[in-house]
Amino acid sequence: MAVTAKPLPHAPEKAHGKEEEHENFHEHLMLDPKPRAEMNAMAMESMMSTNWKFWVVMVILAATVAYCLFYEWGVLIVDGQGTAGVTRPDYWGVFLVDVVFWIGISHAGTFISAILRVLKIEARRPFTRAAELMTTFGLVQAGISVFLHLGRVWVVYWMVPVPNQRTIWPDFHSPLMWDFMAITTYLLCSTMYLYLPLIPDLAMARDCTTGWRKAFYTVTSLGFRGNEFQWKHLATAMNIFAVAIIPVMFSVHTIVSWDFAMASRPGWSSTVFGPYFVIGALHSGISAVLLVLFLIRSTMKNMHYFLRLEHFDFLGRLSLIISMAWAYFYFNDYIVPWYGGGSVEKRLLDFLANGPEAPLWYLMLFCNIAVPWLILWNKNWRRKPWLMALVGIGINIGMYLERYIIIPVTVTITRSPFISRSYHPDIEIPITIGMFAFFLLLYMGASRLIPLIPVWEVEEGQVAHSLRTVGNTEVVSLSELE
Amino acid sequence: MSENLKLLAVFDELNPAALGIKKLHEMGIQDDHINVHSGIPIKAAILGRPNPRTNVPRIGLLGAGLGMCLGLFFIQGIPNLYPLLVGGQSLYPIPPTLIITFEMTMLGLMGFSFIGMLLESRFPSFEAVDYTTEVSDGKIVVFFQCPAELQDQISSALTKAGAQSVKPVEAQNHE
Repeated sequence: MAVTAKPLPHAPEKAHGKEEEHENFHEHLMLDPKPRAEMNAMAMESMMSTNWKFWVVMVILAATVAYCLFYEWGVLIVDGQGTAGVTRPDYWGVFLVDVVFWIGISHAGTFISAILRVLKIEARRPFTRAAELMTTFGLVQAGISVFLHLGRVWVVYWMVPVPNQRTIWPDFHSPLMWDFMAITTYLLCSTMYLYLPLIPDLAMARDCTTGWRKAFYTVTSLGFRGNEFQWKHLATAMNIFAVAIIPVMFSVHTIVSWDFAMASRPGWSSTVFGPYFVIGALHSGISAVLLVLFLIRSTMKNMHYFLRLEHFDFLGRLSLIISMAWAYFYFNDYIVPWYGGGSVEKRLLDFLANGPEAPLWYLMLFCNIAVPWLILWNKNWRRKPWLMALVGIGINIGMYLERYIIIPVTVTITRSPFISRSYHPDIEIPITIGMFAFFLLLYMGASRLIPLIPVWEVEEGQVAHSLRTVGNTEVVSLSELE
Repeated sequence: MSENLKLLAVFDELNPAALGIKKLHEMGIQDDHINVHSGIPIKAAILGRPNPRTNVPRIGLLGAGLGMCLGLFFIQGIPNLYPLLVGGQSLYPIPPTLIITFEMTMLGLMGFSFIGMLLESRFPSFEAVDYTTEVSDGKIVVFFQCPAELQDQISSALTKAGAQSVKPVEAQNHE
C-alpha cells in the first residue's frame, strides 16, 4: 500500500524554510515510505546475500564454539568443577556472572518489543525483531551457563518436578527453584513472542522464494494468508503477549537478584537488589541492541534504509535515561551499608575501592556512568552509529564487570576473618569466550534464515503516518489502523 | 438458480478498498461472501466489515487458570506429599507460593494464547486456498462470490472504485 501524505484543503502557502523542513521529514523511516514489494525485496536481499567473508567468520565462530565451549565443557565434566577457579569461599564464579549477564542481555528484546509496543512508541518498528532474537539467543546462553555451573549436568532433571531416583521432589521454597521456573517461563514465552510477529514475514518470504527456502518458509509460516480472521487472532495473541511478558521480564531478573539477596551475606542482602538488577539488565540489553544494530547496518545490504540515525538517537536517549536510573540504584545500594558502618560491610567497601580488584570497580563505574553521561547527552554524537556501538561495548564491559564484582569479588569477603581468597577464573575464560561466539554464531545464522526487519510492521507504521498542514507548517499525524 | 463465481479485486490503498467493499454491499453481496486479505492488520471498521470474533483471550484465560492450579500444586501439593522443612519456613509459605503461582499462571496464559491463536487460525494449514501473492506485496485483496450475471457490472463498479484488477480466483497451494 502506498502512503498518501496530502496537505489539508486550502492549505496556506508554504512558509519560508518549508522546503528544508520537509526534507527533514524524510530522515524518518515512517515518513519515507517505499512500496511494500520493494521493501520485501530489500529485506529478502539482505537475508539471502552472503559473501566469502560471512562464511569465514561463521567457520571461525563455529570452530571457537566447538573448542572453547563444547570441548572445554567436556573437560569440565570429565575433570570436575575443580578445573574451574571456584573453591572456598568462592563457589559462585564466572559461570554465574555469565548467567546474570546473558539474562540481562535478554531483557532488551522484551523491553523494546513489548513495552514500546504497549506504549505505542513508533521508533521501535524496524528493530523489534533484532532485539527479540537477542532475547532468545541470550537466554540460550544463560541456560548453558546454568548447566555449566551445576557441574553434574546429567542429573539436571532433578530440578524438574517429576519423580526421580532421589524419591524427593524439588523444593519450591528455594530461590534457585524460583529462578528455574522464571527462566523457563521467560525462555518459552519469549520464543513464542519472537515467533508470533514473524509469521507474516515468513509468509512474505514464502511468496518471494523458491527451492528449499520456499519449503522451509511454507512450513514455518503455517499457511498464513493474511485474511481478516488470521490477523485478528494474531494481533490478539500479540497484544496478550506484549502485556503479559512485561511482568514476567521484571520477575525474571528480580528473582535472579534474589538468588543473591536472600542470602545473608555482606554486599548481597539488600532490599533494593530486585529493581537494581532489572535496571542493570535493561542497561546492558539496550546497549547490546545498539551494538547489534550497528553490526547489522554495517554488514547487511539495504539496512541503511531500515535502520536510520533516528533509531540510534532514540536508543541513545533511552540508554542515557537508563544509565541515570542505574546510577541512582547503585548509589542506593552503596550508601546504606556505607552509612550503617557494619564492620563486614566496611571491609567489603574498602576491598572494592582499595583492594586488588579496585581497578575493575573503577572501570565498572567509568563504563556504566561516565561513558554514557559524557557521550549520550549530545544529539550529534547519538547519531553516529560507530560511536554508539563503542558506547554499547563500553556499557556491556561495565555491566559484565558489575556482575563480576557482585558475585565472585563480593563473595571473597565473608563474616569469617579466617576465610579470604581472591577468585581467579581458569577454564571459565575459554568457555565464556565460547559462549559469546555461540551467541554470534546463532545470530548470524538466524540473520540469513529469517527476515531481521519486520517488514509488515514497518509498512503498518508508514501507512499510519502522514503529514498534515496545520497553520503554516506540516505536522506528523498518526492514525490507528489496527 | 444462477451460478456463483469466485472473484478477487486487488486494491492499492485503503480508501478505494473500503469504497469497493461498499459497492459490493450495495450490489447485494453479503459480508459472509466477502473475505479481505492484506499485508498488514486493518481495523474492520475502516473497511466497513464486521469485527471478526476471536476466542484467543478466553483460551488464554483458561490456560492461566490451569497454570495457576499447576503452580499451586507445585508449591502446596508437593510439600504435602513429601514434607521437607527448610530454612525455618512453614510447609506452605505464602511468598514462594505467590512467586511460583505467578510464573505458572503467566506461562499458562501465554502458552494457551499461542495455542489458541493456532487453533483459531486453523494453523498449520497447507491445502490449496484462495490466495494471491499480491497480498505479500502490500495489496489489499478482496475475495468475493457473486452471481455470474453480475460479474461485468461488479467488475466495472470495482474498477471505478479504484481496483487495479478484478479477476477470477485461482486456488493456490503453498507447497
